[in-house]
Amino acid sequence: MRRLLLLCFFLGNVGQALAESDDTWLLLQKASQAARELSYQGVFVYQSGSSAKSVQITHMNFGQGEYARMVVLDGQPREVLSQGPDVVIFSPHNEKVVIEKRHRQSMFPALLPANMDNIKLSYLAKAGGIERVGGRDGQVVILSPKDQLRYAYKLWTDREYGILLKAATLNEKNEVLEQIGFNQLTLLNSQKLDWFQPSVEYNKSYVVEDSMPAKTVNDVPDWLVSEIPQGYHKVDEVMRTVPGKQNPVTQLIYSDGLASVSLFIEPLLKGAAPRTGHTSMGATNFFALVADGHQVMAVGEVPEATVSQFASAVSFKK
Amino acid sequence: MKDKISALMDDEIPMDESDHLMIAISSESEVSDCWSTYHLIGDVMRGNPMLSHDFTERLMAKIGEEPTVLAPKAKRSFFNMSMLLSVAASMAAVTFVGWMVLQQQVQPNGVAPIEIANNIPTEYLLAHQSMASSSAAYYIQPASFTQASSK
Repeated sequence: MRRLLLLCFFLGNVGQALAESDDTWLLLQKASQAARELSYQGVFVYQSGSSAKSVQITHMNFGQGEYARMVVLDGQPREVLSQGPDVVIFSPHNEKVVIEKRHRQSMFPALLPANMDNIKLSYLAKAGGIERVGGRDGQVVILSPKDQLRYAYKLWTDREYGILLKAATLNEKNEVLEQIGFNQLTLLNSQKLDWFQPSVEYNKSYVVEDSMPAKTVNDVPDWLVSEIPQGYHKVDEVMRTVPGKQNPVTQLIYSDGLASVSLFIEPLLKGAAPRTGHTSMGATNFFALVADGHQVMAVGEVPEATVSQFASAVSFKK
Repeated sequence: MKDKISALMDDEIPMDESDHLMIAISSESEVSDCWSTYHLIGDVMRGNPMLSHDFTERLMAKIGEEPTVLAPKAKRSFFNMSMLLSVAASMAAVTFVGWMVLQQQVQPNGVAPIEIANNIPTEYLLAHQSMASSSAAYYIQPASFTQASSK
């Protein structure tokens, strides 16, 4: 009887532990939803290495879709307007304002994908304590990688609204590589969209940068990518122009649901200086090599081992 | 003119379902007036110099305005010439040795490789950030990136 009680107690504990882990994933699921479905306004700070920038964000969704405006408050002015998946970036450059268009950017606080399945394959989620962020109570969640091929993330989700308050990327030594988090955050009640427009400088000319990568892909590529690092899958493949290069470059984009890596492949032209070696900047690692007359470059917010594996995974047909 | 902008937006700039630019433009007539003077140039910000459409005309006009300078050629003495020649000869020798050394390091395609550790490939970083779905950094890049891209 005593033994049975002990067993019950043990099983009970196991059950509780499992439920906690599921709850942790639910917290992240909620954070992903809240960032897209709530209407809010606030200021967040992005910090990478020694550089830090504040950004004012207004996000609205009263069932008519997502509208957001982000204004960079420090240093070079920059303004981002997004509606659904479309993103337009306004950056003043001397006498001009350059307009860039993007698609499908997961922008803070909507860093987490709607579907957690991929992340669950590569990371373990563990709930931590309560920490205050930007005057609000945040529930800490640690996403630790199951292998050495990605960084760990420390996330703070708002206890009341569920929204992501802060995210930090940590290396294997638990050092913060970059972080992004709210300084202040309030929910919006007004449904007015009058804030949804860029501040226009009448004395400047506006130039559209039409660099949306072309969707066309080489019919028969002369390269082959095999044995990519575990947990990553290809999300996109484009032929695009890269500034300073005349010929189009193939860009393959891989993701594990959270971290992403770009793999660039291009034929090495006569007279062009090949790039080789490894370097890093904040959480971003670069790995370049030359193989069979091609330049291969891997770039991503992942450890060095991952970019080097990606670059080495490319082989060429003779 | 407004139609033209609209056409540009529709044809050259595929902005499926995204009318926020147009909202911004049409919300104030002053802005739309201003907009009609905008020059739409593709792929300008990164790498390529940003030139307005009438840049060539303006440059040629400026050159036309420049006075032509007519100056007599200075005579060079034989002494100076021989000095120059000897300097040139020694320079050539140094260059030759340097060239010999370089030849040993050169890659098959004729150019020495660049170590990216000494030279961060910002163009690839920008290309990565513009496409990668989880990049928080793109719209708040450090100023140095923006400067590098507008060179």
